[in-house]
Amino acid sequence: MDYDSCNTDLHLGEKTFQLSCHNFIQHSKAIGDGWVWESIEATNEGYMKKVLLKMKNAFGYTIPEQQKIVNEKTYRQEFEVQDTMDLEEIDISSIDLSGREMIRFEYHVVYSSSYQVPVLYFRACDIDGRPLTLEEIWQSVQENYKERLLEGPWETITQQEHPLLGQPFFILHPCRTHELMTPILKGAREEKQSVNYITAWLSMMGPVLGLNLPISYTTATSAQQLD
Amino acid sequence: MADLDGNDCISLPKLQFTPFSSALDAGFWHELTRRKLNDYRLDESPRRIKGYYCNGDPDGLPMRLTLEFSAFEMESATPTRCCAATGLLYNTNTLESFKACDKKALLQKSVEEIWKSIEFDETPDCLNLNRFLLLTFADLKRYRFYYWFCFPALCLPEGVHLLQPPAPLSKTFSLNQIKALQDAYDALCCRTGASAIPYFVVKYTVDSVSISPLASLEEEVRAQKKVTIGVYDPCTLPQYPGWPLRNLLYLITYRWGQVLDSLEVLCFRDRTLQGMRSLTHSLLFEVKLPKLSNASGCPKGVGWEKNQKGAMGPRIVNLSECMDPRRLAESSVDLNLKLMRWRLVPTLDLEKVISTKCLLLGAGTLGCNVARTLLGWGVRHITFVDNAKISYSNPVRQPLYEFEDCLGGGKSKALAAVERLRKIFPGVDAHGHHLSIPMPGHPVNFSEETMQQALKDVQQMEALISSHDVVFLLMDTRESRWLPTMIAASQRKLVINAALGFDTFVVMRHGLKKLPVQDSSTSSGDTGSTSLFSNIPGHKLGCYFCNDVVAPGDSTRDRTLDQQCTVSRPGLAMIAGALAVELLVSVLQHPEGGYAVASSSDDRMNEPPTSLGLVPHQIRGFLSRFDNVLPASLAFDKCTACSAAVLHRYERDGFQFLAEVFNSSHSFLEDLTGLTLLHQETQAAEIWDMSDDESI
Repeated sequence: MDYDSCNTDLHLGEKTFQLSCHNFIQHSKAIGDGWVWESIEATNEGYMKKVLLKMKNAFGYTIPEQQKIVNEKTYRQEFEVQDTMDLEEIDISSIDLSGREMIRFEYHVVYSSSYQVPVLYFRACDIDGRPLTLEEIWQSVQENYKERLLEGPWETITQQEHPLLGQPFFILHPCRTHELMTPILKGAREEKQSVNYITAWLSMMGPVLGLNLPISYTTATSAQQLD
Repeated sequence: MADLDGNDCISLPKLQFTPFSSALDAGFWHELTRRKLNDYRLDESPRRIKGYYCNGDPDGLPMRLTLEFSAFEMESATPTRCCAATGLLYNTNTLESFKACDKKALLQKSVEEIWKSIEFDETPDCLNLNRFLLLTFADLKRYRFYYWFCFPALCLPEGVHLLQPPAPLSKTFSLNQIKALQDAYDALCCRTGASAIPYFVVKYTVDSVSISPLASLEEEVRAQKKVTIGVYDPCTLPQYPGWPLRNLLYLITYRWGQVLDSLEVLCFRDRTLQGMRSLTHSLLFEVKLPKLSNASGCPKGVGWEKNQKGAMGPRIVNLSECMDPRRLAESSVDLNLKLMRWRLVPTLDLEKVISTKCLLLGAGTLGCNVARTLLGWGVRHITFVDNAKISYSNPVRQPLYEFEDCLGGGKSKALAAVERLRKIFPGVDAHGHHLSIPMPGHPVNFSEETMQQALKDVQQMEALISSHDVVFLLMDTRESRWLPTMIAASQRKLVINAALGFDTFVVMRHGLKKLPVQDSSTSSGDTGSTSLFSNIPGHKLGCYFCNDVVAPGDSTRDRTLDQQCTVSRPGLAMIAGALAVELLVSVLQHPEGGYAVASSSDDRMNEPPTSLGLVPHQIRGFLSRFDNVLPASLAFDKCTACSAAVLHRYERDGFQFLAEVFNSSHSFLEDLTGLTLLHQETQAAEIWDMSDDESI
């Protein structure tokens, strides 16, 4: 059979990408999963985005001891105690909640026209906006998951500027995405089933980065696809 | 309950509020940086910005006021299920003015504005009760940001007493009432076109719930005794309402405190977990409204945020990781290299490559190309040694130099190469030494001064070789390779050698001698497992001089230009330079490193010894045929550079021995190693020549 022409058909065009995202977001809205479409002003481009918040301690991350010491030192050097003393007043009407820290994970699904596939961009920030390094993110991965990740997708993480925002993000490199997706799309085609590309793809890529997809997407988004 | 008088209140618990935690995303800092550089410049005047708080967090997350990338666009859409809060950004130009800024006064100013609007504005829906202040200083040289948030709140002097402590809505409301509340709220959202409504008025009976805008409060108060106010509450704690209620309570106390004794508060909490929407964790409680005397004036305010340590103070965030272009280049280079591991070579040990310290002797055509290929592999530590200056013919062939570098007599190659490497990749740890390498047959004994200089040069060469892991020999003469070959052999350092002819080249690794303790077996002639040309272990491999039956002398004298090896086909240096680095990387990937058995052309079909493939001893290339061969050869026991006799004399006599070598004719080394004798025994020297007749 003509393998090449079959492959070409399975590539994701930008229009289909946006349509698949749209369907995906529709279901996300219905179940409150938090995905939104961010469009770029004065273009027809955009990306799909989700923000996920996790408590720091729940997620196993602690600031490296070394960095803590450095932080404290610079802080003490630059701010004398008396600088802030006059504000130190007891407010009986507020509760003290210091020490409740969280990590903000941000996931963007962006279309890559050179690979003709969606690409997962992500970053994780402290509550003060400092992005975590890849090592810090790695710490957050559960032990029993690490081994599997090292064999596969984790190694594909690289750093790149967000094509639409111009800020540095991590990405899962797209050069094997098409290869991974082809059997799924082909299988679906052979069984005359409709598959939402984004759903199928995210359900594979997402878990690597702590992004789990409720199962309801599969039925909901493929049904829309048929319409 | 509502008619308790003031004195009885003392026994009642007081209502406490959960303060906002400021939450910023990296995009906010990127955008602040951009605006500071392009728009604000040195202008310190306050700017209006926008944040939001959301409803529906899972339990345990801090209650946030979030500022994103979009915070500077007042017209930008607020995310769904979120309420906007507007604020003022005070970005100072210096850390001093950040510190000196009168925070109390800023807070008081904001409190007064809120108070005045409470006093005079008619429509409560237009009130901006949830405002914030953000004081920042952006240190754009160090990518450090200093910031301090303030969420101004108007204080009721005695606080607010609880008549009914907070309880989950599910305790008071039936499922039907909760459903009705949800529908009524959604309907109001729908009517007003808002995705969230910060404050509203609730009316309910056993079987109905209705919601109206805050503006209707006035008539509600007049119409009935019991009033329930709804607050879109970002807090998830079961005992406390969030900050947004605080200023609203002040407003209600101020306007209707004389009429209303108590107020019921519904903290509207709305979340969807796994597709299931729920309001049952909303809170309901009742407070006693304090009486404010009409002449009380502007109240005291609070609101500066505590820092991570729970103390009053600013926060500092260091964003050099994601903003410093140098750091970005470094992490991108490393991560990009790592992709190779995933795509092709899972066991590739990149750390070993990156951390290898490379000494490049020669910064000409070969040196430039070797350095560029090393950068490509992420190698950080690169040191150049060269004594030449850049001349007009160089830049076209030597990719680290430009025309400008030739002007005014030309820059020193070693130093210019370092400068260029840093431009290409600031993360490189590059050094350059303008240094002449003393050579056999090039006397240094003209004066005490020249002897001293030679001694200094030798000592520097010894120190440089000692402080690096690999020595690249990339010079354009044969005899300049002698001293580093011998020193490196003595120090057991890996040597990668590249040399060019007109259209031929050799790239090789020198044999790496075993450490002296183990050395006994190497010279004892045990040829058991190794034949002359195959399976030669690394410690028995020859060096550049092993295949020669003459000692190095002055090769530039009495020769035509092409014999000086300085004219070669232009592509040759790039090929050989690249191969030299790739050979090094393959050697590094072998578990035995420089001791690895040499692969030969015959091994091309066999299972490769490393993840990257073969680890040959030599690569000899013939551009005329576009062909490479991989010969391997044994160390020569009469070698003028690496034989035991030479190393022994060097290790024993040091510079004294070297001076003799530099100052004597080449027969000195030949006598020492027994080559002279060999010459007398055989007349077939030509067959050893490095020539393209060789075939293995």
